[in-house]
Amino acid sequence: MGKVIVSTGRGGTGKSTFVALASKYLNPKKLLIDLDPDESLADMLGVDLNEKGKKNISTALYDVIEENKGAGRTGYNLLSDVMQSVLYRGAEFDLIALGTKFTVGCYCAPDAVLKDFIPTLVKDYAEVLVDSPAGLEHFNRKVVVDIDDLFVILDPSEKSTKHIERVRDIIREVKVSYNHLYLIGNYRFTEGTEEYLRSTGETYLGKIDYDPNVRQYNLEGRSLLELPEDSPATVCVKRILVKAGYKITDGDLSSKV
Amino acid sequence: MARKIVSTGRGGAGKSTFVALISKYLKAPTLLIDLDPDLSLADMLGLDFHKEGKRTVCEALYDVIGKRKSNISPTITTHDLMESLLWSDCLYEEKKFDLISLGTKLTEGCLCAPDEILRKTIPKLAKNYTNMVVDSPAGVEHLNRNIVSDINDLFVLCDPSDKSLKHIPRIKEIIKQVGISYSHFYLVANYECNEEAEKYLQNTGEIYLGKIDYDAKLEEYNLEGKSLLELPEDSPASLSVKRVLTKAGYQIRC
Repeated sequence: MGKVIVSTGRGGTGKSTFVALASKYLNPKKLLIDLDPDESLADMLGVDLNEKGKKNISTALYDVIEENKGAGRTGYNLLSDVMQSVLYRGAEFDLIALGTKFTVGCYCAPDAVLKDFIPTLVKDYAEVLVDSPAGLEHFNRKVVVDIDDLFVILDPSEKSTKHIERVRDIIREVKVSYNHLYLIGNYRFTEGTEEYLRSTGETYLGKIDYDPNVRQYNLEGRSLLELPEDSPATVCVKRILVKAGYKITDGDLSSKV
Repeated sequence: MARKIVSTGRGGAGKSTFVALISKYLKAPTLLIDLDPDLSLADMLGLDFHKEGKRTVCEALYDVIGKRKSNISPTITTHDLMESLLWSDCLYEEKKFDLISLGTKLTEGCLCAPDEILRKTIPKLAKNYTNMVVDSPAGVEHLNRNIVSDINDLFVLCDPSDKSLKHIPRIKEIIKQVGISYSHFYLVANYECNEEAEKYLQNTGEIYLGKIDYDAKLEEYNLEGKSLLELPEDSPASLSVKRVLTKAGYQIRC
């Protein structure tokens, strides 16, 4: 059974960046799931799903529905109708994206497909890393019910402190389980503002330093996997993972951390 | 009928900051609606909803459903009950603006129910105001839900990333497909954009209104939870917002 890792947080704090950077150091075989309809994880990893002949869940679901209409069927077979068309298999990692939908209504249906998928998928991987959309609704939906490590990425604002409380409240009420809840500060934290995170009563793992390379890569749409090993953000992510007890698959880690 | 203004964008682009700042310069009466369950607009305006004796839409809805289960006539729908509560319990009224917050939901399931109540009530609410400003949650789902279907001015806040550029055609496509109408589609750059990033935004073929300059005070206010309404008139963010509004044809209230 694979380890289930979820990254969450308010908008723009750096959830996807963290997932993209962390993905490099996790144990194979690993699966990444992008739950954000405003998808960007594939871009950040330099994968063009379209080009690889893969659909996102929203499109696959829409296609199944359209086909069913023609054939007078209902429902779908998760494995044969959807899985093959959405699961990208790469040398480094596998990836599934929720994707944007262009019809009226919420994302409950595509989310439900993933929710059904995840328990089956987890069996095939050592680690499953889920990148959440901004905000809290994904918790209400219980897309991932059994989390091993929940990383909450925060920016330095009073809103962030309140966000931590809200996450805890929702998770408790809707009964999402987790083994660890970890806080991570984004690059905008200073020594002074980091104190806020140390005083919340949750495990604070440290901050991700400002990295001009990340900014440049994101602007150009370049893969974050190509970021140098000694780039500030990379070094921080490794340090954070080690602190959370991860065995990093990187040979000469000790020299850099 | 109020002019309907919607602020949208990727997470962290500065949607709520933009709404908080423009609220000061719009012609009264103004209604602000915070659609983000991770609510922050009230905080940014220095308001404690609960202290003011107000409830969020999610909180009121939760109570209504509870009551319906016990003793209320089955002929009164949840929506009818909710609509009256929306006016009495959820609408915070003040001199400068009125405010409704969606709020955090602590039960399982999506936010379609509270969103739907707002979607149905917005046209009625709009009749009482000159301006109505909707602060959206991060992402695109609120557009799929078609909560405000006839927008006057849609402000898209952009950060400097390739993702932001991809976000623009994506939301245009959703808007078209779900049948949302708008009169203007405006791009606004956030403080992180440098000249190079601004150039990208100028070349998208959409109307680019300029950027919100970096403002150290604003950052400090957000950290301390101080109201953005108290930001000095000559601080960089205030000046930028006034410039952006003027460019969009607004008459600035001083």
